[in-house]
Amino acid sequence: MRFTFNWLKRHLETDWDIYQIAQKLTTLGLEVDDFCDPKVMFRNFKLARIEHVEQHPNADKLKLCVVADAHGKKWRIICGAGNVHKGLTGILALPGAIIPRSGDVLSHSKIRGVESEGMLCSYDELSMPSDGNDGIIDLGPDINLSMSVGDALGFDGGILDVSITPNRGDCFSLKGIARDLAAAGVGKFVVPDDISSKSSFEFPLHINYEKSDACSCYAPVIAFRVIRGIKNGQSPDWLRSLFRAVGMNSISSVVDLANLWLMDSGRPLHVYDLNKINGQLTIRFAKNKEKFFDIKGQEYVLHQDMLVAADEKNVLCLLGVMGGSRTACDENTTDILLESGLFDPIFVSRTGTFLDITSDSRTRFERGIDRDSCVAGLETVTRAIIDVCGGTASNICIVGTHPKVDRSIQLTKEKLDSLSGYEIDWSTAKKILLKLGLKELSSSGEVSTFLVPSWRSDLGIEEDLIEEILRITGYDNVPEKKIDTQLEGDNTILQQENTLMAIKRLLASCGLSEVVSYSFIKSTYADAFKEKKKVIQLLNSISEDLSTMRPSLIPGLILAAIRSLNYGQSHVELCESGNVFYGACMQETHIAGLRAGDFQDRSWIQSHRKINVFDAKSDLMTALGYFGISEKDVTIKQEAPSYYHPSRSGTVYLGKKKIGHFGELHPKINKLFAVSEIVACFELIIENCDVSPNNIPYNHKVFPKINRDFSFIFDSSVAIGPILASIYKIDKKIVKADVFDSFELENARKSIGIAVTLDAVDRTLTEDEAQVISERIIKFVEEAGGELRKK
Amino acid sequence: MSELDKLLASCLFEIASCDDLQKLDQIRGAVFGKNGKITDMLKGLKDLSAAEKREVGAKINAVKDSVNGHLNAKAVELEIKQQEKRLASEFIDVTMPTPPRPNGTIHPLTKVMEEVAGIMSSYGFVLADGPDIESEYYNFTTLNMPDHHPARTMHDTFYTNMCADEHGRKLLRTHTSPVQTHAMLAHKPPFRFFAMGRVFRSDYDATHTPMFNQVECIMVDKDVSFANLKWFIADFLKNFFSAPNLSVRFRPSFFPFTEPSAEVDMNYEIKDGKVVFGSGDKWLEIGGAGMVHPNVLRYGNVDPSVYQGFAFGFGLERMTSLKYGVPDLRDYFESNERWRNRFGFNYVAR
Repeated sequence: MRFTFNWLKRHLETDWDIYQIAQKLTTLGLEVDDFCDPKVMFRNFKLARIEHVEQHPNADKLKLCVVADAHGKKWRIICGAGNVHKGLTGILALPGAIIPRSGDVLSHSKIRGVESEGMLCSYDELSMPSDGNDGIIDLGPDINLSMSVGDALGFDGGILDVSITPNRGDCFSLKGIARDLAAAGVGKFVVPDDISSKSSFEFPLHINYEKSDACSCYAPVIAFRVIRGIKNGQSPDWLRSLFRAVGMNSISSVVDLANLWLMDSGRPLHVYDLNKINGQLTIRFAKNKEKFFDIKGQEYVLHQDMLVAADEKNVLCLLGVMGGSRTACDENTTDILLESGLFDPIFVSRTGTFLDITSDSRTRFERGIDRDSCVAGLETVTRAIIDVCGGTASNICIVGTHPKVDRSIQLTKEKLDSLSGYEIDWSTAKKILLKLGLKELSSSGEVSTFLVPSWRSDLGIEEDLIEEILRITGYDNVPEKKIDTQLEGDNTILQQENTLMAIKRLLASCGLSEVVSYSFIKSTYADAFKEKKKVIQLLNSISEDLSTMRPSLIPGLILAAIRSLNYGQSHVELCESGNVFYGACMQETHIAGLRAGDFQDRSWIQSHRKINVFDAKSDLMTALGYFGISEKDVTIKQEAPSYYHPSRSGTVYLGKKKIGHFGELHPKINKLFAVSEIVACFELIIENCDVSPNNIPYNHKVFPKINRDFSFIFDSSVAIGPILASIYKIDKKIVKADVFDSFELENARKSIGIAVTLDAVDRTLTEDEAQVISERIIKFVEEAGGELRKK
Repeated sequence: MSELDKLLASCLFEIASCDDLQKLDQIRGAVFGKNGKITDMLKGLKDLSAAEKREVGAKINAVKDSVNGHLNAKAVELEIKQQEKRLASEFIDVTMPTPPRPNGTIHPLTKVMEEVAGIMSSYGFVLADGPDIESEYYNFTTLNMPDHHPARTMHDTFYTNMCADEHGRKLLRTHTSPVQTHAMLAHKPPFRFFAMGRVFRSDYDATHTPMFNQVECIMVDKDVSFANLKWFIADFLKNFFSAPNLSVRFRPSFFPFTEPSAEVDMNYEIKDGKVVFGSGDKWLEIGGAGMVHPNVLRYGNVDPSVYQGFAFGFGLERMTSLKYGVPDLRDYFESNERWRNRFGFNYVAR
């Protein structure tokens, strides 16, 4: 809502200035987005008249003007506008002026070698609608040069721009805003006079109003009136200047007056050119696929639960939402039909949403207008139109009936005090409600029942009244009251969250930097990672790049990696935790990591290598370490989803549960993302890592361990991991089995050096015992396909 | 000069002029070895009388001890010299660059979530959670936004291609508030919950990303009041921003799920080009709050005639940006190396 301060003052007698009002509005919940004091805004601006015009010596399109203010002070100005002429009175900006459009401070300048001491402004430069006037502002010959710039431009005490919350339909009007301010002690609310125009002739049109339930539900009452013999043309200067100041476009007198009233009282009206209506007017539901052309001629295809006003040929108006072009008023309009209806908020909202039409009318109906304003609105606009455009009015024709929805709400002091948390004076509280227009129906002790006024459809329950009282008293006046601290409750979810955070810190200690990626990705990326699962798509995504719920965290990590690799990083290491989505309604929490390119920075101290599958495996095992899971607790299978390199990837099982994957990425993925560097990734499925802590016996005495190394020859195809895992099972005293050496031999065979550590934990192991275990290890490995190398 | 004296003098001379451990060993051999000079002299004692034996033997022993002492001292001296020489030869240029060590960073949002969880827990609030893909019922209806409520259009909602069920169409939650309902349904009042996580709205420009994170908080009991809400938010923000003097301003506003509703501002000023919270008279919006609407309590199976409560929701990116000076919202989700190095946290930072 953008309006002038003096317009507001027509509804509010107050001595507060615009600054005080702006501050008060914000504390009332009517947030002031912007306000301007013309005295400040137009500092260094003046009204000036062009006294002399001549050609710029060095530029064809520029004019050299001499302008003078009311005191005869003169300036030399260079101006390039087409409408420059002697005698024009415009707005002169002098050095130091801040030009509203650009925010720049004007200074002396030389244009093509000639000094210009200021600038004659256009409406556009002042951030005002130009109404098609491209040139400099021409205030007309009758303007008094000694007027202030603000007054000359219709700023009328200043401009306020207030954003209205969706519940406050009543404050989409000057009247509503004034009422709120008055209730908060800012002066006196001016109650408008009742207006009625005498009817000069019988309402001439036949209105068909389908008396179906739906019709009376969506449009319970509509009032009509015809005015004949008007002269519709450009609006008077005061109205155009007001509209320009608040940024509204002036169309024609009748339309502007209807819009003025809409702003003033929040009551939307529609004006039809009576002579363009073919026959009778019918209020009915649209036919399926029926067409409607809005005021700008844009076509809409309607469907059958939209309510329209139609003549015998066409749909003329989408009731409560938008008027049509077929009966639009123009300069030839002489007779008009005014329509002032009550339309259901949900119905208007649904129609507007479906057709994607926003309008001042929709905004107000959606939020709830004054239910009793149909006739009063019609009367006020009739008077305004007759005053400006002449003409005579018919009687008012009303179809439907005014719904009686007297809503009363009980308020108890007990609830008021309890919800607000402090004691509010009961009579003060009641006075606030009365000032807002509520009526006290009954009262007994500290319980009162109030009748809600017709314009406050947002008030329905006791809490609403409490909000009104707190709002008007000022939220600032509510004291702060401590809550007691209690420490109990089930913090399982916090522990899960802490687990994720701890693992990410662990991974960061290994060099992986955490990123946060969008939960949605490009559908081709999602398809490459969905495996056999169904991906979830957005029906109304912002772009194709953000259209599909990610079935894996890896695509997001690759995209993040690309942002580093493409800018000269030779390697990148990332991790992320978050949900992945697929199937019917599946949401799974994963942690994933990615390394690409070099293994660390190249350095003089170590040989340079690329990352590989084992870097990913190490990262995954490090993460699993948080749960106390080590390699000997899991089974690793040479298998993985298809986005991994088929023979350089693995899946980790904890018992039968799949807990993660690791591996180098499949080249097809590199190709899809256009990544040339080698990429190795892992994914960890958090939910499946549910392990109870294992209770390894502890002995504080330390005994010497015995280390034994064995060298075996295997066929290259033999998987070593399961053999190591089985070695642990040979004897409890085998506390470590690891590969210390591995190299390929001829004939598809490989040499594997296995180091085993033996520890009895509670005593020193004897050589004989170690020998027995060693022999069992050799026997087992030989059965598994190994051949002990002779020294 | 006796022969013995001569021997001693020549030995001491040789030892003193020796500059090598090996040579020193040769000297030792020449004196004390199998055919060494002193060994020979000692052998010659057997031919002497008892009295001479005692006298000569004592002299030889004195020379022996003296030579031995000098040999040992020289050996220590030479060993030190030798080690010094070796160490000098082991010179390394320690000004060479430090070898790389892994050094990953934690995303600032994660850090802030940890901080928020810490503060919330200290007041006895329990973390609750809910799915990112919600139904219309939980995202809107239970939060007092019935069908065609204008507020539904304010949330530019992403809908999915999943089949609708008895709870309506499936969508990406537009706020963390549905967690309130899930948590209320799963517990008996009184309770204190908070939730953190991703929310989604169809908006993308310099100040909006289609995904962002919220923290949500709800406290329900028989006498929880608006005054409690004011204290709690102020205390929470004072803790979070480490600004004990922070002032918090409540402005009336509208949310379908709270009544009364408020927008929350905190004060700040700009000192030496830096934002300082808790001083000055400029105000900055931080989030929305209010008393839980009775309908929301009913949907959570809580009797509003017995219980009342407060709730609030703040944007985590906004809190992070304000606290740690992260400039552009989009970088949170499209970070590059430089951003991570500048705004990420070391993995031990708490």
